[in-house]
Amino acid sequence: MRNFLVRRLLLIVPMIVAISLIIFILLTLQGDPFHQLLMNPHVRPEDVQILMHNWNWDKPLPIRYFNWLKEFVVSTFAPRAGNGWGFSLLAPGTNARALILQKLPLTLALSGGSILLSIIIAVPIGIFSALHQYGFGDNVGTFFAFFGMSMPSFWFGIMLIIIFGLKLHWFPISGMHSDMLPAGGQLVDFYAAPWLARLVNRAWYMALPVSVLSLLGVGGWMRYTRSSMLEVVRQDYVRTARAKGAPESVVIRKHALRNALIPIITLVGLTLPGIVGGAMITEQVFALDGMGRLTLQAVLGNDMFVAMAILMIDSLLVLFGSLLADILYAVADPRVRYS
Amino acid sequence: MDNREILVDIKNLRTFFYTEDGVVPAVDGIDLTIHRGEVVGLVGESGCGKSVTALSIMRLIANPPGKIVGGEIFFHGEDLLKKSDDQMRLIRGDKISMIFQEPMTSLNPVYTIGDQISEAITLHQKIDSAEAKKRTIDMLHLVGIPEPERRFSQYPHEMSGGMRQRVMIAMALSCNPELLISDEATTALDVTIQAQILDLMRGLQKKLGMAVLIITHNLAVVAEMAETINIAYAGKIVESATAKEIFKSPRHDQRAIASHRGHGPVPLSHAQRLPF
Repeated sequence: MRNFLVRRLLLIVPMIVAISLIIFILLTLQGDPFHQLLMNPHVRPEDVQILMHNWNWDKPLPIRYFNWLKEFVVSTFAPRAGNGWGFSLLAPGTNARALILQKLPLTLALSGGSILLSIIIAVPIGIFSALHQYGFGDNVGTFFAFFGMSMPSFWFGIMLIIIFGLKLHWFPISGMHSDMLPAGGQLVDFYAAPWLARLVNRAWYMALPVSVLSLLGVGGWMRYTRSSMLEVVRQDYVRTARAKGAPESVVIRKHALRNALIPIITLVGLTLPGIVGGAMITEQVFALDGMGRLTLQAVLGNDMFVAMAILMIDSLLVLFGSLLADILYAVADPRVRYS
Repeated sequence: MDNREILVDIKNLRTFFYTEDGVVPAVDGIDLTIHRGEVVGLVGESGCGKSVTALSIMRLIANPPGKIVGGEIFFHGEDLLKKSDDQMRLIRGDKISMIFQEPMTSLNPVYTIGDQISEAITLHQKIDSAEAKKRTIDMLHLVGIPEPERRFSQYPHEMSGGMRQRVMIAMALSCNPELLISDEATTALDVTIQAQILDLMRGLQKKLGMAVLIITHNLAVVAEMAETINIAYAGKIVESATAKEIFKSPRHDQRAIASHRGHGPVPLSHAQRLPF
């Protein structure tokens, strides 16, 4: 296992170098932010020259690339106030790392919450569907799974906003939290309120976007669980468990489910990039200021260093996510041994 | 005639499978008697209903598509088919247990073999886990597994087919059953391992005195072990006699064919369709 881990981690290094080269070339192809700054009448050309010099943009492409990669590695492993994955064009005075760290909590709550919720909802429905294959419950579950999988998130989000926000007034339609919260009989600023009130308020605001993302996720997880469970309940060892006199609940929970969850557990590792990457469309619909929105703004606004930093993080998470999936697989299944 | 107490008495058992291609009468009126401590063979070609008979005794027929549609299975004079699922569960693995054909897939891959045998013991007996572990190691020793303490914490994939079948036997015998059903237990093993497993089963039967129902399509297997041999054909018992009689004067041509090499009769004239 240790040899396997070391080998995989070493393999990640050349891969990330190749990925970074592709990211750098693709994003610098669409023009660099310095020339955009030159067109800004409020910025003096001399300052742009200094900035270009500081970021080595007056040197040939390989040196630019190398310096950017060095900056990325240094500010990842030795973060200081002065560095941080490059400057931001759209948010002057700040850097890519500060921007990303600022958007990350919301995205973690949104995507992490919806993935967790979809798994919690989907796995029991998947098990039920498998145990009652082609029965009424299975058909209803399967219908909703496909309904969720084929529903466009922007349309479903807008429908939820109309029904639960505008008509019923149950949930807020956009934003991340209220400005003022009631505390001790009076309204206080959100950040001055007790943490529990803040948490409840945030959960209330998150309810609709998390519902949208969960509905999209439930279908997939439910179908995975169902097919995995269907395969397992026909196995000989499930019959053996019945033959030794185990009650049906033990047969299903202990003998079938444990085996059926192995592929599901490994899939969890692969959701890692999705948790950080954010949900561009849903964040846009609900006016949430998370990673998805930042990515969109950075790419469209030619905010090169921010966009490159986000793509680098996403790529790293894909690589580490599949490594995590392999590790989880070995943990869940004793037959799997890496050497 | 046998004057030992009758342990299992199957009367006119009928188990049908309801498939999309029609009803398959896999077992269509089987009668079978097993006395206490007797070794009974049930022989027949593939698809004649041997395994379905065994699964019917255990009440492990998957429903749907299978269903026991008629008959009685008396065990100690009580009809197993009238018992509730819970009552049946208490008998399974305790009074009647079963070994299956596929040792490679019959054990759960994610639990150690020790866990799986201990589970069978603790399901039926009120003993703590330390005691169950001791009993499990005794059972592993009994079925001839070397170093049972070390094997206890091994997973099925760390063992060969023959070893796994020994584990299955240990599991089946762990609660001292009165009836052991061996459903083609040696078919999937190679010949030398087959002989070892048969020797083991014969030895254990003598030692523990349980009744054994051996299901096989290999007459040589039952010839050595069984006192009484029943020959099944197309869901019915066509001949039932002591081992000696059967081999001395064959009455049904199927056995004559089965004892030679060659093709068995195709029972399509009886059951319209055999989709398996």
